[in-house]
Amino acid sequence: MSTTPTGQRREADRPRGLDGHRGRGVGARTAADEARSSYYGVPPIHKPHWKWLVVVYFFLGGIAGASYVIAAVSHLVGPKEDQPIARAGRYLSLAALVPCPILLVLDLHRPRRFLNMLRVVKFRSPMSVGTWGLLLFSGFSGLSALIQAAEDGLLGRGRAVGVMSRLPARAVAVAGTPFGFFVAGYTGVLLAATAVPLWAKNARFMGPLFLSSAFSTAASAITLVLSLRRRTPGEALHRLERLERAAMVAELGLLAASRARLGPTAKPVVEGRLGGLLRYGTVGGGLLVPLAIQTASAIAGRPPSRPISMLASALVLTGGFVLRHAVVAGGRASADDPEATFAYARRGLLETPPR
Amino acid sequence: MSDRGDTLDTTGARPGAVGFLTDATLCIGCKACEVACKQWNALPADGPDSALTGFSYDNTVDLGATTWRHVAFVEQPGDPSPAWLMLSDVCKHCVHAGCLEACPTGAIIRTEFDTVVIQQDICNGCGYCVPACPFGVPQIDDAIGTARKCTLCYDRLVDGMEPACAKACPTDSIVFGPIADLLPRARERVETLKARGVEGAHVYGDRAVGGTHGIDGLNALFVLTAPPETYNLPAAPTLPQDNGRGAWTSTAVAAVGLGLAAVAALRGRR
Repeated sequence: MSTTPTGQRREADRPRGLDGHRGRGVGARTAADEARSSYYGVPPIHKPHWKWLVVVYFFLGGIAGASYVIAAVSHLVGPKEDQPIARAGRYLSLAALVPCPILLVLDLHRPRRFLNMLRVVKFRSPMSVGTWGLLLFSGFSGLSALIQAAEDGLLGRGRAVGVMSRLPARAVAVAGTPFGFFVAGYTGVLLAATAVPLWAKNARFMGPLFLSSAFSTAASAITLVLSLRRRTPGEALHRLERLERAAMVAELGLLAASRARLGPTAKPVVEGRLGGLLRYGTVGGGLLVPLAIQTASAIAGRPPSRPISMLASALVLTGGFVLRHAVVAGGRASADDPEATFAYARRGLLETPPR
Repeated sequence: MSDRGDTLDTTGARPGAVGFLTDATLCIGCKACEVACKQWNALPADGPDSALTGFSYDNTVDLGATTWRHVAFVEQPGDPSPAWLMLSDVCKHCVHAGCLEACPTGAIIRTEFDTVVIQQDICNGCGYCVPACPFGVPQIDDAIGTARKCTLCYDRLVDGMEPACAKACPTDSIVFGPIADLLPRARERVETLKARGVEGAHVYGDRAVGGTHGIDGLNALFVLTAPPETYNLPAAPTLPQDNGRGAWTSTAVAAVGLGLAAVAALRGRR
C-alpha cells in the first residue's frame, strides 16, 4: 500500500488552505497539495553518509555469512566427495570477512573510537546487535577456517595444530551457522530501521532480499573458486548450482515483491542511472542470464562448459554487488525526496493506532 | 484520545520532563533564537553554502550539525491577503527517540530532564542516528567527526537557566518549561486561535489533538496553523525501530527457508 489511501478520499473531503488539519485531514491531500507544501524542496530528513565502504561491506559480509552456512550444511548433510565445497566455503568465509571490520572502522568519522561500539548492547539497535553478531561470527569463521587449515596440513605439524585438527568441526559448524545467517541478513534490517522511505517502507523484504542475495553470491563465489581446480567433481558443482538457483529465484521474487510494496517510492531504483544498473546489472545480468544458462544446460542434459559456468558465477557476483549499491545509493536519493518522505510519514495516520 | 483535560498521560511525556513550546503564530522571524543558540553553544556560522538561498528570508535552510534552531519562512498565496508563516524548528527531544535507540555506542542518552543529548566524548561518528531521526535533526559535524544536535542547553539547565533560544525570543514564541505546564498552555492557545477563526490551528506533538500519531509525544511542542508539511515537518512519523520486529521476523523466516533449501540442494545420496 503506497499512497492509495491518499487518492481514495481525494475528491470527497479535500482540505482547502488552512482548514481543519486534524488527524485524518492530512491523509486527504493530493499530489498537487504535496508539491505546494514541500518546503522549497528541502529534504525533511537527513540522508546517511554511507557510500562504497558500506556497499563493499554489505557485499562481503553477505558472502562471508552465507559461505559459512553453505560449508556447514555441506559438511553436515553432504556426501563425502563434496568435501571441496565445505573446504572452499570455510576459507572463503574468512577471506571475505577479514576486510569487513576494516571497512566498518574506516567508515566511522572517528575511527579510533570504534571500540565504543562494544561498551553497550542495545537490542533495539540493529547496528549494536550487528556489531556483536559480527564479532561472534568472526570467532566461528576463524575457528572453522583454522580447523580446515590444520586438516589440510597448512599449519605444519606442531602440537597445537594437532589439537586444532581434533576439534569438533561439526559442533563448531552447527554453533556458528545461526551467526552466519545473522551476518548475511542483519544489514537489511539495519537499513529498514531508519526513516528512509525506500528502506523503511520495504522493511519486511529488506532482510530476506539481502539474505537471498548473500546465498546466491556465496554459492557463485564457491563455484568460481572450485571451477579453478580441475579435480572438483561435477556432482558437487551440480549440487551447489541447485542451491544457487533456489537463492536466485527467491531473490527475483523478493525484488518483485519489493517493487510492488514500494510503489512510487521505488522511483530512485527504477528510474535513471540506478534504475538501469539494477535492471540490467542485477535482474538481467545477475539473475536472469545465469538462470537461463543453468536452464539451458539442464535441458541439454550436460553441465555448462567451464568458461560459461565461470562467467555465470561472475555475473551473479556482479549482480549482488550492484544490488547493494543500488539499495544504498537509492536510499540516499529517496531520503532527499520530500514527497517520498512525507508520503511515508503520513502512513502513521492510517496504520499506527495511537499508543 | 478524548480526555483533553489530561496532561501527562496523553503526551506520553514522563513526569518532570521539560521542553519547548514553539508557537508559530507568535514568531516574527527575527532569528534571535538561531543567533543565541550559535553564541551560547559556540557553533560556527553555516559557511558559504548558506549564502542567499532565495527561499524567502530563510538562508539557514535546515537543522544541522551546527544549526540547532532553524527559522522556516513560508509564503502562502491567499485570499484576501497572503499568509506568511514562520516557525522556529528544533530537535523534538522525542519521548521515544529514534536517534537514541539507533545509537550503537550509547553516546546518545536521555538526561534527567527527559531531554535527548549526544555525548560528544563517546560518539564515534557512525552516522546511524542521522537517518534514524524521522525529523531530520542530528547530523555529522565533518569538522569534528561526531553527530551533533540541540542539547536543549543541558549546560544551562543544570544551572537552573532556560535554554538560550527561549531566553532570547522577544515574542515568547519559544517558551521553555515543564511539559505538564506547556501542554495545557498550547491547547489553550489553539482554542483561542480557533475562536478567532484560525481553523487549522493545532498542537504538533500532542497525540490527543491529532499530533504526530506515530511517535509517542514530543518534548518540543509546536502550535501550527497549517498542515505540518507546510513547515517541512512530517505529518505522522513513526519510530524507525518499530520496523525492526517485522524485519527481524521476516529475515528469520527467510533464513529458515534458505537453510532448508541448502539442505535439500546439498544433500547427497547416501
